[in-house]
Amino acid sequence: MRLFSRYNRVLFLVSCVGLIIIGLLFYRTLSYYLAQQMDDQLEEELMEVKQYTAGKNNLYQPNSFEELIIQYKKTAENNSKIIADTVFYNDEKHRMESARYLQSTITLKGEQYKVTIIASKVENEEQIKSILKVIILPVLALLVILLLVNRFMIRSLWNPFKQLLINIKAFNVNQDVPFKPVKTSIKEFSDLNNAFVDLSSKVKSDYKEIKLFTENASHEMMTPLAVINSKLDTMLQSNLLGREESELLTDMYKATSRLTKLNQSLLMLVKIDNNLLNDQEDILISKAIEEKLLHFQELILKRKLTIHLHLEPTTLFISQQLLEILLNNLFSNAIRHNIEKGTINISLTATQLIFSNTSTNDGLDEAKIFERFYKDTTSEGTGLGLSILKQICNRLQYDLKYTYDKPLHHFIIQFNK
Amino acid sequence: MKILIVEDEESLQKSIHQYLIAEGNVCDCSSTYNDAYQKIALYDYDCVLLDLTLPDGEGLNLLKFIKKMNKPDGVLIISARDAVDQRIEGLSLGADDYLVKPFHLSELYARITSIIRRRQFNGSDRIVFNELEIDSHAMEVKVNSHTVYFTRKEFDLLLYFMTNKSKVISKSAAAVHIWGNDADMADSFDFIYTHIKNIRKKLTDAGCKDYFHSIYGVGYKFVES
Repeated sequence: MRLFSRYNRVLFLVSCVGLIIIGLLFYRTLSYYLAQQMDDQLEEELMEVKQYTAGKNNLYQPNSFEELIIQYKKTAENNSKIIADTVFYNDEKHRMESARYLQSTITLKGEQYKVTIIASKVENEEQIKSILKVIILPVLALLVILLLVNRFMIRSLWNPFKQLLINIKAFNVNQDVPFKPVKTSIKEFSDLNNAFVDLSSKVKSDYKEIKLFTENASHEMMTPLAVINSKLDTMLQSNLLGREESELLTDMYKATSRLTKLNQSLLMLVKIDNNLLNDQEDILISKAIEEKLLHFQELILKRKLTIHLHLEPTTLFISQQLLEILLNNLFSNAIRHNIEKGTINISLTATQLIFSNTSTNDGLDEAKIFERFYKDTTSEGTGLGLSILKQICNRLQYDLKYTYDKPLHHFIIQFNK
Repeated sequence: MKILIVEDEESLQKSIHQYLIAEGNVCDCSSTYNDAYQKIALYDYDCVLLDLTLPDGEGLNLLKFIKKMNKPDGVLIISARDAVDQRIEGLSLGADDYLVKPFHLSELYARITSIIRRRQFNGSDRIVFNELEIDSHAMEVKVNSHTVYFTRKEFDLLLYFMTNKSKVISKSAAAVHIWGNDADMADSFDFIYTHIKNIRKKLTDAGCKDYFHSIYGVGYKFVES
């Protein structure tokens, strides 16, 4: 739920309940006050009746304009005064009306009369209704206007926040573009903005530090690796080498070359990040693919792989080195994980490049396949090849996708995002 | 050949030194910038192996010094840094080649001889080994003066072995020589075996003796038996 709708909902509820309560209270007070007034009026009338009775020795009959009904009834008891609500039948209007009555006793010529003075409350109620209308309706209108103003105000007030959100989403620690701050006079938003500017620069510098560390660590490892390699080469020249020692050496060579490759891949990842590979030029991709195919032909022949090529002459503006690494990784991936007598399909159009290959594996996890060090246990690779591929595509703003369509694994690179 | 090894990592320097003198070369070693500077100033070398990061100076300055002195020395940069700009800078300053650590000694030696060949014979060169003769420039292989057809990779491999003759070359080194960084593929080791088998067959079919010797699956040696 959005902050604004939540706020509005609460506001609306409170206003409604408040309005009802206030309206009720208002109505009550008003009715009470008017009833009081009416009671005074009835008392006055009773006094008038008593005076009239005492002065003229006769029962008072009200004038028609007084809108009162006075009833007399002989009675024996001497009742105390009662004032209460009642209903009566209005002869002129032919309907029942709510009213207030006063009952008391008077003495005329030594006889006790019960006198009931009834006054209609219709007028009063009309009055209350119109007063309520006059007050409640403007309040309601005010409330609606307030809600509307709120809506527009908040929408414009939140604008810097929305812009901030867009900028935060656009922020990429991997790219050299710094975080774009939002200018706003509202303190809360400018605080948030400043906090994020600080955070982004910190994240950036930390990230840079880590990359630098990776790069330095990898470089530092190269020299010991060179020493190991040279010592192995020296040992290999020994004339005392037997079968057992040779096997040991073979394993050591393999491990060293794997370590070297791993180190080089890590360096590669950092380098792609650092955007060092920036020598872009127009390159005919179809030709580059054919050259790479030649480069790998022995490995392809050895596994008796069938290659299906469908290459449209396509030129891309790309760094020669990135393209080299890209194709190397695509090819070695397609060859390495292939089966004996398998297939590789390469299709190049102006918009996309697809490498499809058969494999010993069934479909792989699309979400994980480009993660670093994601590989099956039998693979002798570094587990970095595909993440390098992904990194390059990110850098070039190409879209890299993996799909599995039995028996082919497809790696699809969309050039124009 | 007279070679100067400028490398501050003593154990690596020692291995290179051992490997090179075994090939019958004369080698000097320097571990510091100043020492290397003096040696370069005093003597002429066929080739200088130059590490770029030295404890007391920048290797590239030595390269500039060699070029300023108009020395005939060939220069092979050996560096742990594989940055493109550094490679380009080194080569544009006049280095003959750039080898990234870690490398195989056989690869290093192949590069050194290649540099020296280029400098001494102006690019055309023949290597003769008994009845076998190869021209590294024209990429020709002749057995008893009859041309034998070799593919590019087979030729590279043969040249590699002949340059490092009577040395054992591991399959790993051979694979790196042929495929560069992509050589980690599971098949590449086996593939060297197939390649060598083809080369041997082509040579023996043409009437050449078999000079390749397998060393228990770890590598091969090109040597007169």
